[in-house]
Amino acid sequence: MTLIQIDEYDTPAGKSLAETIKASIRTPDSLGLDRCIQCGACTASCPAARFTAYNPRLLVKRVLENDRGVLEDETLWNCFYCYTCQLRCPRNNSPAKLVQVLRQLALNEGIGLENMEHFLGLGEFFAAHGISQVPEHYLGKMAEALGSSWVEFKRDLPAIRAELGLGSLDIRDERKEIRSILEGTGHFERAESLRARLKESGASEGIEENKFLNAIPGKNKSEDINLEKNGRYSGPEALIV
Amino acid sequence: MKKMEDIPDRKLLLFKSCMVSQEYPGIEKATKYLFDRLGIDYFVSEEQSCCTGIGHYVDLYGQLTTTAIAARNFAVARKCGYPNIACMCSTCYAINKEACELLNGNEEVRAQVNSVFREKGLEDLVYAKGDLDERTNIFHVLEVIFSKKELLTEMTEVDFSGLKAAAHHACHYYKFRPEDMIGNPENPRLIDGVAGACGADMLRWYEDRSLTCGMGFAQLHIHKDTSLKVTQTKLESLRKAGVELLLHMCPNCHIQYDRCQPVIEKEFGSEYDFVHMNIAQFAALALGADPYKVCGLQTHSVPLENFLEKYGII
Repeated sequence: MTLIQIDEYDTPAGKSLAETIKASIRTPDSLGLDRCIQCGACTASCPAARFTAYNPRLLVKRVLENDRGVLEDETLWNCFYCYTCQLRCPRNNSPAKLVQVLRQLALNEGIGLENMEHFLGLGEFFAAHGISQVPEHYLGKMAEALGSSWVEFKRDLPAIRAELGLGSLDIRDERKEIRSILEGTGHFERAESLRARLKESGASEGIEENKFLNAIPGKNKSEDINLEKNGRYSGPEALIV
Repeated sequence: MKKMEDIPDRKLLLFKSCMVSQEYPGIEKATKYLFDRLGIDYFVSEEQSCCTGIGHYVDLYGQLTTTAIAARNFAVARKCGYPNIACMCSTCYAINKEACELLNGNEEVRAQVNSVFREKGLEDLVYAKGDLDERTNIFHVLEVIFSKKELLTEMTEVDFSGLKAAAHHACHYYKFRPEDMIGNPENPRLIDGVAGACGADMLRWYEDRSLTCGMGFAQLHIHKDTSLKVTQTKLESLRKAGVELLLHMCPNCHIQYDRCQPVIEKEFGSEYDFVHMNIAQFAALALGADPYKVCGLQTHSVPLENFLEKYGII
């Protein structure tokens, strides 16, 4: 089995940041990075620029100057991936796409790992069920914020789905195709290496990222959704790598 | 730009969405109800998986993983004979479009994805160039409904005259591939078209109409305050415009508005008296569908009972 390094595709080695970004399969060949005229339409349109210190025009300029300091710029993690910059750019550049590659480069260098903490268990859940859930810590926060009505809804979800004539949440995947694909494309290794580096860095907030609220009908009984007094779910340790 | 006559009404794979399934299952039921009433030929597959959207846009999955998962779903569509993919979620739409374009246009990616399939004994998933076309095989459900809006007008049973509603179009539909949408990406009006056909009075414009809902994938988790601030900004604009109902086309926006509105009210000390719905739920209601057994409105966080009473639905 050939081992696939995600890096080779998302962040291929290049002489400069711009070369890596252009060679990445996350960006199309038509990307107008070199054609940027610094007009600022991206920044003028950007919700993150409006509400935070993130500045896509400046980010593109720094990339073109091959300023690797951008990888350490915390505002890199403020982009919403809404693609308003891409829509408005008169040169077919896409700061939102640049950010996707830059965040991968940053993670490769161990920068911003703490931003991934909530999400590292998504792949395991996906492999087991064929669907994705929002991270458990967020469900706990939702329960805290929305109170009993939402918790009741989550409890009633299987019954509501049945009443609506909808089938199982889990997909039919007898050959474990999803797990095979995640494995074969190097996902688990990537997630494991990010998890290990996060632990090493000491940046972990101690979130148990593999603990998901498992509200899958037929998998767990509805009583498994337990809401403790502090609003966090105690409930099932659904999937442990 | 895509034309309305390019939207198929046969052989549609109704592409399930994780967030629809788990948060607002009524969107799926309402879509099926509409498709049935409008005579659209569709199929739902038990084998179709998550598109990877959430994991992809929180920077977890590599593009190769995302593309291979999409190729598997394309094989599902092909094998069941329903190759026209219709998405309820705008991120599924964007992910599938992009992956399809990559599989057709990048030989190295296609070969690598196929070699993973072969090594794992999944030969039947192998993708051949042109198996699906990113422009003519992948759609948003709203486009399908929009293409039948004259029928909707004929079939509408509920009198929504006087209803002041506004639209929030999904970023991953019109900003991600503006060349591939129906209408003008600087002023998307698909939701307005459908709701208008059902008798609603659609607000032409409101402040921040094209601003993101604020979810921003990781943003809601890693920068929650900013995320909610963006949403609050939109809610404030809608309050000033005096709308009763905000209509959207994506479960991520739906969560951000409906689930977060009570949270924002609490955290920002504001109060909003409008409600939220997916456009498919609204159109189904207009055609006489049951608000709970079809539209699943009991799953909402902002209660819709006053709204339903006002228009004589309950």
